[in-house]
Amino acid sequence: MDWLEDELRRALAREDAPDGLAERVMARRALAPSGAPRWLAAAAMVVVAVGAGGAWRQHQGNQAKQEVMLALRLASAPVQHIQSEIRGITQ
Amino acid sequence: MLTEAVETGCDFKALVRQHQATVFSIALHFLRDRASAEEVAQEVFFSLHRNLARIETPAHAAAWLRKVAVQRAIDEGRRRSRRPQVALEDVAEPAAGVRPGDPLLSELLRKLVATLPEAPRMVMVLRYQEDLEPAEIAAALEMPVATVKSHLQRSLALLRGKLARRGIGESGWTG
Amino acid sequence: MKSLLILTCLAALPAMAAPQQFQLNLDSVAAKASEHVDVSLNASTLQFAAKFLDANDPDEAKVKKLLVGIEGIYVRHFNFKTAGAWSQADLEPVRAQLRGPEWSKIVGTGSEDGEKAEVWLRTSGNKSIGVAIIATEPKEITVVNIAGNIDLENLAELGGHFGVPKVKPDKPHKEE
Repeated sequence: MDWLEDELRRALAREDAPDGLAERVMARRALAPSGAPRWLAAAAMVVVAVGAGGAWRQHQGNQAKQEVMLALRLASAPVQHIQSEIRGITQ
Repeated sequence: MLTEAVETGCDFKALVRQHQATVFSIALHFLRDRASAEEVAQEVFFSLHRNLARIETPAHAAAWLRKVAVQRAIDEGRRRSRRPQVALEDVAEPAAGVRPGDPLLSELLRKLVATLPEAPRMVMVLRYQEDLEPAEIAAALEMPVATVKSHLQRSLALLRGKLARRGIGESGWTG
Repeated sequence: MKSLLILTCLAALPAMAAPQQFQLNLDSVAAKASEHVDVSLNASTLQFAAKFLDANDPDEAKVKKLLVGIEGIYVRHFNFKTAGAWSQADLEPVRAQLRGPEWSKIVGTGSEDGEKAEVWLRTSGNKSIGVAIIATEPKEITVVNIAGNIDLENLAELGGHFGVPKVKPDKPHKEE
């Protein structure tokens, strides 16, 4: 058995992939379109808080919902942009 | 696409987990840069995702991934427009008394391999990391088998010479 | 309208600690912006808001499902009057934090009209625990941190369910 080849096998042995690589690949995959076409655009569903009877909690809840929708709209827009870019590359 | 993948038994996530070490290591040993190796690995699996419908069997997936990993690693190396140059003076030399299996010797060998030109470097990685036969290496690199064998012989001779000048070799381990 | 939204956000939110995963320290950007929107929603606020999402409404049901597993959403959005009012250096305080070992950039794209977007993933061991998004246009910046486990595919799909027009893919240009 050749000593150098043994040492080379030892030196070039496979190394573990970095922690979380599979998860990062899956996350990146989630941004890639499947075969089906996707409808992309910025979401804007801001619900105006009009509580029937002026219930304060209802008003607060609707305000919170409005903020969630706004936040998700702002967050989804760049993700959609990335999807459209990737779809443009793969076509 | 997912349905087809399931039918062929090629579950994407399982393929990633099964082959991530191979793909990452091919890129790492070729590029000698962990961040670049991870980037290449991600691109390879992203490419697998786009081409999953073409994968026929798990064995086909393994060969496909190896080939794409090789291509992407080479592309990345060219894109960086440099051949890994190791200032050997900077490499920690194995101390006197080096023995087979010395981690410093392994590190020295990895860096010496990294100084090889692109084609023989990848031949060495596929031979000693993946334990591929010359014919399999030839298929992965799309080069004649005779060329693969020539690269192996010359690279081994080069490495033996460089190690011998450091007193490292079969004729007498240092120390 | 945006100014009003800022006031609304501030009025409705109870004062609570916000466990962001990185500091959204963009005061220098805010100083240059003509408008800005700050949204900070921690786990309590999200849970509260979720109660008011209508499970019988398909769109709100999707949002409700998306919120499961999310522990916080933090958004900074800026509009500028003119192109050139901001530079990439303004975002360095954020990017420097994303260069830490717990963050990995998973994709970056760019288009010829100057739109760029990056997505970063935060992991702990083998688990993803957060996402950072940086999106820029010549007159707009959006920085987002979503703490927790977010389904990016569902997030992107969210927009498609609010009666929005189809977006054609741009010419291929992928940022290295």
